[in-house]
Amino acid sequence: MAEQKKIQIKIRRQDGPNKPFRWEEFEIPYREKLNVISCLMEIQKNPITASGVKTTPVVWECNCLEEVCGACTMNINGQGKQACSALIDQLEQPIVLEPLTKFPIVRDLMIDRQIMFDHLKTVHAWIPIDGTYNLGSGPRMAEVKRQWAYELSKCMTCGCCMEACPQVNPRSKFIGPSAISQVRLFNAHPTGEMNKHERLSALLDEGGIADCGNSQNCVRACPKEIPLTTSLADLNREANKFAINRWLRK
Amino acid sequence: MSLAQVSNHHFLIRRVHSLLGLVPIGFFLTFHLFLNLTALGGPKQYDLVINTMQSFPGIFIAELIVIFIPIAAHAIYGTWVVYTGQTNVLRYKYARNWFYLIQRISGLYTLVFVITHVYLLRFGEANFATLSEFMSQPLGLSFYVLGVLLAIFHFTNGLWAFAITWGLTVGPHSQRVWLYTLGVIFVLMSVIGMADIFAFLK
Repeated sequence: MAEQKKIQIKIRRQDGPNKPFRWEEFEIPYREKLNVISCLMEIQKNPITASGVKTTPVVWECNCLEEVCGACTMNINGQGKQACSALIDQLEQPIVLEPLTKFPIVRDLMIDRQIMFDHLKTVHAWIPIDGTYNLGSGPRMAEVKRQWAYELSKCMTCGCCMEACPQVNPRSKFIGPSAISQVRLFNAHPTGEMNKHERLSALLDEGGIADCGNSQNCVRACPKEIPLTTSLADLNREANKFAINRWLRK
Repeated sequence: MSLAQVSNHHFLIRRVHSLLGLVPIGFFLTFHLFLNLTALGGPKQYDLVINTMQSFPGIFIAELIVIFIPIAAHAIYGTWVVYTGQTNVLRYKYARNWFYLIQRISGLYTLVFVITHVYLLRFGEANFATLSEFMSQPLGLSFYVLGVLLAIFHFTNGLWAFAITWGLTVGPHSQRVWLYTLGVIFVLMSVIGMADIFAFLK
């Protein structure tokens, strides 16, 4: 009988924050059309390494399994991407799985993305409509504008752009392309526009738009193909106008 | 963050850093490269031009304000910018990512080059013979060729990012057109720079 084809997976394991890391290799019987998540589930059922040593199940996060939530983002063969849409048949083996490097590790492939949500708060990435009385319906949004703004709304805060960005690292406070692109989204909205000064003001601070290094990795790394570099350039223009205007009226 | 809170000067410093790269440093670089073509006319003509330049009244003040202070400010802050980056070209092998890295390397090299260049000529004997002698050594020559090429690269690639920083080239298409335009400018300036160096080899 011919030897059964195997899928080889190499995983960077770490039992917790500030614990040492180790590499473990696994072999899974080949089946067609598997993704990285289904391989991790196989390992979870039978956590034995390729050399036959019993180990703990690998920890990872996932939710939607259709590339809209971003929870399963990890480094797959050195590139940040979603494990659910990473198809085994399209990957070079051994498949190397590592946690994202720009976020604190919780365990194994699970990381804490809290900082991305903090950045969204920093730039006021929402539309304040709460009040003590009914504000009525808002202004209409032009259809052409809605179409390109919709593309920006696809951001799932997965962290691929942060992972690819050389300006996001422990020596820099750069908030990264995703939060900045959200400023463009909410400033484009007719109701959100009423508070655009708050978002632009936040972008002028340290870690804001001026810290972009124009390596343009973000737009290549984005799984949702959001035009991040266009957002950055557009907000450069807006931030310049805003800063000059604010200074002249001071 | 309330409106009343005046932001720190971070944005202003970054924008001044960007502007200094073109005005006055980029303009000075271009002028400098053109002026040195006079060396093609031989030592006599070159030394005459240099002496004329240096005999301008208030040349020291002009050099201080238009050349020294802007370059020092751009270099000091630029070195900080280099420190705050962390390259990942081995994982993300895109051309633009390489340009990001080369921009930083060329900036640091140009700083070393400019310091040596100024020490050699501005504080030493500024004439044809000094340069000719320095460049007669293979090491001195390669130091100059690399310095001139990397300075021009840093300027032209810097102009590419400059157009984004100032919100001129917003979309990918205009950025690409500007990239090719700057590629041509890089080649033209490099030809002039190499002609300058060639003049001192005779």
